[in-house]
Amino acid sequence: MSFTWPPDLYFLIMLSPINTSWRLARLYLRIADWSLIPLYFLMVVALYGAFLYAPTEREMGDVQRIFYFHVGVAWNCFLAFFGVFLGGVAYLITRKRSWDHLAASCVEVGVVFTTMVLTTGPIWARPIWNTWWPWGDPRIMTTMVLWLIYVAYLMLRSSLPEGETKYKYCAVFGIIGFLDVPIVWFSIRWWRTIHPVVITSSGAELEPEMIHALFVSVIAMTVLCVTLVMLRMAMRLNSSMAEELTHS
Amino acid sequence: MNPIALTWILVGKDLKIEYRSWQAYLTTVFFALLILVIFNFAFDPGSPATREAASGILWVALLFPGIIRLNRSFQVEMEEGTLYGLILSPADRGVLFLGKLLANWLFLMVVDLMVFLAFVIVYNFSFSTQLLWIVLLIVLSALGFSAVGTLLGAMVSTIRTREVLLPVLLFPIILPIILPAVSGTQEILLAQEIQSLNRSVEFLLAFDVIYLAAGFVLFDYVVAD
Repeated sequence: MSFTWPPDLYFLIMLSPINTSWRLARLYLRIADWSLIPLYFLMVVALYGAFLYAPTEREMGDVQRIFYFHVGVAWNCFLAFFGVFLGGVAYLITRKRSWDHLAASCVEVGVVFTTMVLTTGPIWARPIWNTWWPWGDPRIMTTMVLWLIYVAYLMLRSSLPEGETKYKYCAVFGIIGFLDVPIVWFSIRWWRTIHPVVITSSGAELEPEMIHALFVSVIAMTVLCVTLVMLRMAMRLNSSMAEELTHS
Repeated sequence: MNPIALTWILVGKDLKIEYRSWQAYLTTVFFALLILVIFNFAFDPGSPATREAASGILWVALLFPGIIRLNRSFQVEMEEGTLYGLILSPADRGVLFLGKLLANWLFLMVVDLMVFLAFVIVYNFSFSTQLLWIVLLIVLSALGFSAVGTLLGAMVSTIRTREVLLPVLLFPIILPIILPAVSGTQEILLAQEIQSLNRSVEFLLAFDVIYLAAGFVLFDYVVAD
């Protein structure tokens, strides 16, 4: 099987898990491999954009530059956790193992990304809001609850024995967890918010250079997220194939 | 057979088990009382700060015994393998869920009300009709709690570390229930003008409906085939 850039029909076949396992695993690895080249490039450009290209914020100073990474990573948390939800629903309907691979890989990457959001946030908040952890803010609280839910997911995963029951339970918990996010958000929202709303419906209140830097950073983080998910999925697929070999 | 009648049979079965092992009630209530007493030692009982924290103390004392109950709910079924009997019975899985849920809910309400009574006395609050609002909050949050708890309790019942795993899974998910319950209770206890209480009740009702629906649909996948 040869792989061409841009990706051909195989990309669509990946979405419907009807392919043989080894081909899929190869496909995931190829996607990860091929995205590495644009990923290096994008990361360098994002770093350049955040630290050199974007102007220093007048009031916050250099600490504001963390914002580009913070936002880029934060959006990918939701992308990854949506992947968990999607994988869970699709697994319960189709009972194809590859959907569980998607969900499990997305959780791992999502938890790492959420941890990054929860680390970069306080670094910014300490000098600006004079507090590491403002408890009254719905976004921070929701993100923290997200993190707790999906860390719990990983614990559930690791304490269940391998088998269909495990994938089913994890799918169910992934679905509840994802449905819970908007509910958590609304329940926290009646408290006063102090999170800066940068992108409003009337348009971004940012310098054009800042928007460019943010844009590149978001793209770079998204590619990173997808690459990591692909690597984990290939790993899972390979290990499940190895399992089948040893059991047969 | 009529699903409502079936549900009541299931609830009756669980309640009968509980009635015959009344020590379980006693242990759970006693555990909650201990939490109240320990908090009373942790805070200075006479200070206004304790009165402000009272609502939080009450809800901690209600949540932890709830976890014990949920763990028990399916452990009883696992011990003698009766869960398989339930699954093999012609009853719909949804009925199974509702039966377990209602039994958990009733049990929790009884325990919670006893704990609440003890709380009012130990923390020197005066009895008034306002406290009935707290009872409403307790009833509503116990419903949501047992809806998610029944689903997750069934899930972890086969796992060796279920006692620890259940709260870890449950608490982040039911945070939307804890929040309005705690803040609503605080408002009543501090006897300010009660403004957002309606909102607490509305939120709780809405969340209960969502969790009930989610549990009802997903329980099908949780009990073994």
